[in-house]
Amino acid sequence: MAPQNPAPRPPAPRVEDRVAPAVPAAGASVPQAGAPTAQTGVPQVQPAVAPAVPLSSAAPISPGTQVAPVVCAAPAVPDASAGETPLEGEKLHVHSSYIWLGGLKSIFAVLFALAVSMSGTLVGLLADGIDPGGGAAIALIIVGITAAGAALVAALAFLGTWWSWRHLYYQITPDEFALYSGIFNKKQVHVPYQRIQSVDQRATLLQRVLGACTVQIETAGGSSNKAVVVPYVTRDRAEWLRRELFSRKQQLAAGQKAPSSERAVVAATEADGAGNVLDVGVELWDEVGSVFGGQGVETGRVSYEYGLTNKELVLTALSNNTAFVVVLVGLVTGAAQLVGEVLPMFFGSNDAALDFVIDQSLRLFGGNAAVAIAVALISFALVMWGLSVLSTCLTYGGFKARRRDSRIEVERGLLQHQFSGVDVDRVQSVVVRQSLIRRIMGYCELSLGKVDSVTGDGEKQANVSEKGLVIHPFVKMSRVPEILSGLVPEFADVPTAPIPVAAVALRRAILRRAVWLGGGFWCAVVGCVLAAFAPQIAWALADVPSDVDEVLFVLTIVTAGLIALGLVLFVLEVVSAVLWARESSFAVNRSFMQVTNGGLARESVTFPRKKIQFAFTKTNPFQRLARTATIVAVTAAGVGGTKVSLVDAGREEAALWLEWAMPGGQDCDLAGFGAVKVNKGSSQ
Amino acid sequence: MSNPLANQLDPRVKAVWRITDAITLTLVFLGCVATFFLIAVFDEESSWAWGVCGAMAAIYAVLLVLLLAVIPPIRYARWRYQISPDYLQIERGIVWRKRFVIPFIRVQNTDTQQGPVLRMFGLSSVTVATAAGEHAIPGLDSEEAAQVRDKAAELARIAREDV
Repeated sequence: MAPQNPAPRPPAPRVEDRVAPAVPAAGASVPQAGAPTAQTGVPQVQPAVAPAVPLSSAAPISPGTQVAPVVCAAPAVPDASAGETPLEGEKLHVHSSYIWLGGLKSIFAVLFALAVSMSGTLVGLLADGIDPGGGAAIALIIVGITAAGAALVAALAFLGTWWSWRHLYYQITPDEFALYSGIFNKKQVHVPYQRIQSVDQRATLLQRVLGACTVQIETAGGSSNKAVVVPYVTRDRAEWLRRELFSRKQQLAAGQKAPSSERAVVAATEADGAGNVLDVGVELWDEVGSVFGGQGVETGRVSYEYGLTNKELVLTALSNNTAFVVVLVGLVTGAAQLVGEVLPMFFGSNDAALDFVIDQSLRLFGGNAAVAIAVALISFALVMWGLSVLSTCLTYGGFKARRRDSRIEVERGLLQHQFSGVDVDRVQSVVVRQSLIRRIMGYCELSLGKVDSVTGDGEKQANVSEKGLVIHPFVKMSRVPEILSGLVPEFADVPTAPIPVAAVALRRAILRRAVWLGGGFWCAVVGCVLAAFAPQIAWALADVPSDVDEVLFVLTIVTAGLIALGLVLFVLEVVSAVLWARESSFAVNRSFMQVTNGGLARESVTFPRKKIQFAFTKTNPFQRLARTATIVAVTAAGVGGTKVSLVDAGREEAALWLEWAMPGGQDCDLAGFGAVKVNKGSSQ
Repeated sequence: MSNPLANQLDPRVKAVWRITDAITLTLVFLGCVATFFLIAVFDEESSWAWGVCGAMAAIYAVLLVLLLAVIPPIRYARWRYQISPDYLQIERGIVWRKRFVIPFIRVQNTDTQQGPVLRMFGLSSVTVATAAGEHAIPGLDSEEAAQVRDKAAELARIAREDV
């Protein structure tokens, strides 16, 4: 905690204070124990952490009962208000805001369509030049009909959504979660608790104001398994639902096999009080509570939590890749415009022909117009950049990642709130990603790979799943171990002896990345070809023979630009290839594998051996000649699986790795790997 | 990589490949050539269309020879699999050679399939699906295929669910 950080608002613990009165006196002593401690002045920077820390440290009251973690008592614990706690098997409707928010949405859609279709008739009527007296009457009639129609549409829309609301309910049964929907086409979705991968909640701005959110329950993933979406659930109901689902899942797992999930969570780490300016906004949201939000439900013990500092937030926004690309494109085009305008002036005018060309090009580009265009482009790029920075700030405002019992929870978003909770057993991989900018600054992006499923509402989800679950968008490399050991201590035992790619990989990497697949190389080739045939092309393009010189001049500039750009890209690609060959490696131990792919941007993926769905090695004829092989491990992360591959590992290493990936191979080949390394070392 | 896997496919699969590939290739060829053929027939002046048709036919003939005579034996020789108690291994590919290890505990479902051509030869293909993609062993004797499927299914059933 951060004692030096004085509580900005009165010490009103969000959860425990208000919960306490509702709890029966003899029952769970946990919230009561938490409440007095909190009231004596524990800073409220992270209200949710409060119950966890005092519990383990100062425990004057009934030490026996306090040990029990809150979450294990799940189904029976009386929550925010005991009366409202739903029973098992009860039919639970989503919140009533579904009716009028959903209705509102359809009304807007219908009204828009109506307006578009009516405007045509209205305009037509007015254009027909109706006489003034009758015109007013007709207009009145039209307005009246429109109003009546709108009212009818509204009524219908509300009726429709009300009807569908009546038929939309969910149930928590002993074995599964069930969602019923549909008026005429009845639809039932049953999700066994054990199949639940993660429970996320999202809230749009309007929903947020009302304290409602959309809950999304993800199962095995893949294109055939859609996520179950429960719309318009109040926030405390959503939290209750999440806790209920996870705890039931845990109970089922514990009943079935040895309680492997009862892994000891690391001792409550001091959550650092890092925060940023935008957190105040989020706290405000929490304070104001939103209309139906409820008071929040205690859902488990938090053992580690962190946010973003001001610096990290701003840097995240500034280094946003899309922003960077936009700026780059704007600057390059702007500069090109300027160069195109300025270049002729450097040549001087000692040649009549050139004079003519300058004259022509000036007339073509129109002197000042070029500057104006360049300035406009650059300023447009800057504005876009600013907007993108702002939107990233809003997206990551109020970012919090925490470990709660066996779950990892990430929430973010100032306006559109997004909350993801994933069980640690479902985490497929830990990805450390460094873009070029992050790499230069010594920072990286941390994310978790998890199984994603497709939802009905499209591309936004796809966008998210591309990156996995970002647990820190911008963090110093030196802080990564600390965060990982706090958030996912299960991933602490990472392999430490990396096996680099084969020595021949450097040559192959340069050929592959800078020549065959190198944009720069081919760019330069095209430039050279153009330069070689420039006279012919100029003759072919010019309509009048006198234009040839002019065309030739433009052509020269274009080819020179192409070749220069190609050379720059080529050098960058060579550097990237060299870096790749030096940094790339894979490493394994009994239970984990780590693959690092270097280059200007760097990515390192760590995943448990038991998350490998299948493994394969791949060779092409050149690789067989060079005695290397590509190793590929496929995990279930993302939609439909993710391939983690390393090109050009040594052939023997690849074969041994494949044996390691076979069931029962985790032990015997560790020695083999060591031997390979030693042999290699001694032979060189 | 070093030691080849134990089992090969049923030799009859070469005939299956020949038939299916020839059918596919012919359909593609007909689809491509139809337009030019029609142009050549109905438009007397465009003799170039005959040329295009001829070139396509030549390419078709070469590919047909490749697919019928050259590739199937090599493909057959390269296609190997091995079923161990805990995992399935597959080795295949002529130019890009791949070797897969698929642990049975990751297998979510297995099934056998039999198209008309496969049925003609009394063969089946076994498909093994994991949470991240599926693998097919294309030409097995139907009885053997059923055995493989049952074994994979049995092993997959006792596996823990831990995606």
